[in-house]
Amino acid sequence: MRRNVLVLTAMIAALALMIAAGVMNYRQRRREQQARNQAVQLRLVPANGDATAGTVDDTNQGDSIAANEAAYTSPLNGKQAPSFTLQDLSGKQVSLSSYKGRPLIVDFWATWCEPCKVEIPWFEKLHDQYAKDGLEILGVSTDDLDRGDPAKLFTQKRDISEFVTRMHMNYPILLSAESVEDQYHIDATPTTFFIDRNGRIVASTVGLASRDEIEADIRKAIGGANS
Amino acid sequence: MRTVLAFMAGTLWLLSSSSAQKLPWQNSSSAANAANQQLVHFLYPQQVTFPAGKPQTIDLHFRIAGGLHINSHTPRQKGLIATNLAEVEPSGVKITAVDFPAGSEFAFPADPATKLSIYSGEFVLKMHIVAQAGNHLVQGVLRYQACDNSTCFPPRTVPVPIDVIAK
Repeated sequence: MRRNVLVLTAMIAALALMIAAGVMNYRQRRREQQARNQAVQLRLVPANGDATAGTVDDTNQGDSIAANEAAYTSPLNGKQAPSFTLQDLSGKQVSLSSYKGRPLIVDFWATWCEPCKVEIPWFEKLHDQYAKDGLEILGVSTDDLDRGDPAKLFTQKRDISEFVTRMHMNYPILLSAESVEDQYHIDATPTTFFIDRNGRIVASTVGLASRDEIEADIRKAIGGANS
Repeated sequence: MRTVLAFMAGTLWLLSSSSAQKLPWQNSSSAANAANQQLVHFLYPQQVTFPAGKPQTIDLHFRIAGGLHINSHTPRQKGLIATNLAEVEPSGVKITAVDFPAGSEFAFPADPATKLSIYSGEFVLKMHIVAQAGNHLVQGVLRYQACDNSTCFPPRTVPVPIDVIAK
């Protein structure tokens, strides 16, 4: 009888633990869902209501949407930048860790991304402007690569190289990997991270930011480690 | 005791079934998440019926999510990804051509000088087809690349299945 009671008590305790774990797991998933839904909602709508945009109906645009987009923050903000090692266009391995001690921009872009083409010249100029502060930039191309097909891969890398040359990109260009895009929650381009000298993400932007916002984020990265 | 065991087994089954039921955003990678967030939807037709052996034109209707646009079939800028339709022709079906509409002119607010050719809202492709008598499943795939006014999404595909009944 006593043995039965002990077994029963142990089983009830185990059951209670499992239920508690299930509830915690469910709550965590709900929090992630809410964050995810917010991100998707922000990205499915235009950022502003410039009436000179062309012949497309722009009636869905509005200030509330812009306000929502401005409110979006990456879950990585304030955290250490996830480490990665990626190949550059010449095949050389480049690690994030080798940039520790310097303020850094990591910009995820693509050749088919028109808003990226607006930001890239700003990055080039800001790279020069803040070189005295040690600012470095890594451009991470998210273009699809057929790594299993050497002929296609050659053409794809050549297209990226031509784009880089045409855009006069004066900073290292790396070829993205799915694992890195997962770590950085990359669902769209441009997505840009501003990292301080200690490797901490001090700001991030999804979508085309203004030049002023980018410059303000660069200043945070430069001064972040001292604050 | 047996009642307690039965209760626990039931509870365990409930817990395991609830954890196995994946929520829409619960995928192994962001790429998989992105693929699940369809930005263009194939509206209709899902089924067409027409005379066997006679050339027909089917209007394929698509809708782009609000606030977004996709490149047209003939984007103006080098490197942009054109909207395209790939089809698998089952035996007894011949797709002779697909006509794409002309794009609308568009410029990103931040770059008004660069004019693009895009689709937004709803658009229609015209598929020219001939089919022998019988039921056929034409499986098409529309490839597109979407943007809003400040952000671009990776290229995606949307299935275009059409049940063709030729009599």
